[in-house]
Amino acid sequence: MSYYDIDAILTDAEKLPCTFQIDVPDLGYLDNAPTQTLRAGAKVALPLWLAEMLAVANDDQGKSFVNFDLPRALGNDVIQALKADPRAVPLRDQSAHFFGLATRMMDLLAEEQELGSVLRKTFVTRATEIALHARKVGGGGKAAGGDDGASNLGVGGAGEEFLRGLDETERKLFRKAHEGAKAAKEWMENVKKH
Amino acid sequence: MALPLPPGLTHSEVAFLAEMEMVTVVPRQRLESIDLLSGQTPPLRPPHRAQLPLWLALLLKKQRRANIVPPPWLHPASLADIIHRETKGAGFSAPPPPPARANPHEPGRARRFADDDVTLSPPFQPSCTANAPAGYLPYHWLEVAESLLTHAGDDMAAPVGEVRSLLRDLVEVRAAKMRDSISELQGLERGMMLLTGVGSIELAESRGFVLGVVDGVRKIGASTEATRRDKEEMGDERDDEGSDDDMGI
Repeated sequence: MSYYDIDAILTDAEKLPCTFQIDVPDLGYLDNAPTQTLRAGAKVALPLWLAEMLAVANDDQGKSFVNFDLPRALGNDVIQALKADPRAVPLRDQSAHFFGLATRMMDLLAEEQELGSVLRKTFVTRATEIALHARKVGGGGKAAGGDDGASNLGVGGAGEEFLRGLDETERKLFRKAHEGAKAAKEWMENVKKH
Repeated sequence: MALPLPPGLTHSEVAFLAEMEMVTVVPRQRLESIDLLSGQTPPLRPPHRAQLPLWLALLLKKQRRANIVPPPWLHPASLADIIHRETKGAGFSAPPPPPARANPHEPGRARRFADDDVTLSPPFQPSCTANAPAGYLPYHWLEVAESLLTHAGDDMAAPVGEVRSLLRDLVEVRAAKMRDSISELQGLERGMMLLTGVGSIELAESRGFVLGVVDGVRKIGASTEATRRDKEEMGDERDDEGSDDDMGI
């Protein structure tokens, strides 16, 4: 993850549900009450980078400023659905940077062992599916240049819906797999010319 | 700075390298030996077979000065046999055995080399000549097969269409296998893929994708792995988590 990685930056901007543990003067505008004190116990959605800083920092009694929960994208509903069938969940609807977010959350909450194994299974199962679709797209139509134009020919409606539900990491994978298949096809056609 | 090219060789580069493979030709005209960087080519005397690099053989073929003897593994029976093995068994079919090594389980496979300057390392191992073993796919199988089918179709042992459709089947079977081997990564204890017997063009095709998947699995497993390692060492070595993140592939 490089400093200039735009996906890492956007992942850091994902919102987490946070609960303030202390009163903060003049921070009420976060909770739609400008110029007032933000009371302890207020629930506010904060971006990941801020929530992380505030959760790690302590005041002089050793109490952290905020507590945060798993975001809704990694909530119980989604995890149960992923356990049932990883391919059926449109991850992009949960978060455009689902896997980036999940990796960050697992770094922060080290006790989430089960989440890790579910995510790994999800990622691998969906990657297999992505490879299948990318290959079909490459071999299906003459218009191998545009993903959208060609995906109708080989994949069909259900496949297109699956592809729309890919998060950014998976889209990159799809692009790589598709480029590979496309290069293979171009090479095949080139052999005949020379 | 990002390089414009992805890591690894592109398809055309791989195909270019595949033209170094030695093939067997039956010359139609005499041709004296030529000095090449890789050594001298054998002098061509019409009824006698000779081994030439693929690029030279294709050139002579186009000029109608030689016919190419297809390698035995490109015979339809051999291809059908390989497809059968690929569909039945797990894993990719084995690469050709190193030459001149007797295997007690497969008698008759041991061969002797006539030439004195023999290079046995895989890129130069003559696995596409007329006396290569049938039933094994060499590293450059798809590239060599494609160029031979395209440019020397009339020298094939069977109609080009038949061989080509068998090759297509083989490509599909092996691509499906590549996807299956990705799904083996989901078990927590196995973080690796076996790629023995995969051809160079297949590697070029799926390199980006497979590396992406392995990298993704590594990122997802990084924190779990760090926790596990912490537990094992019972120490507070949280800093090796950071170095784990930096390790790019």
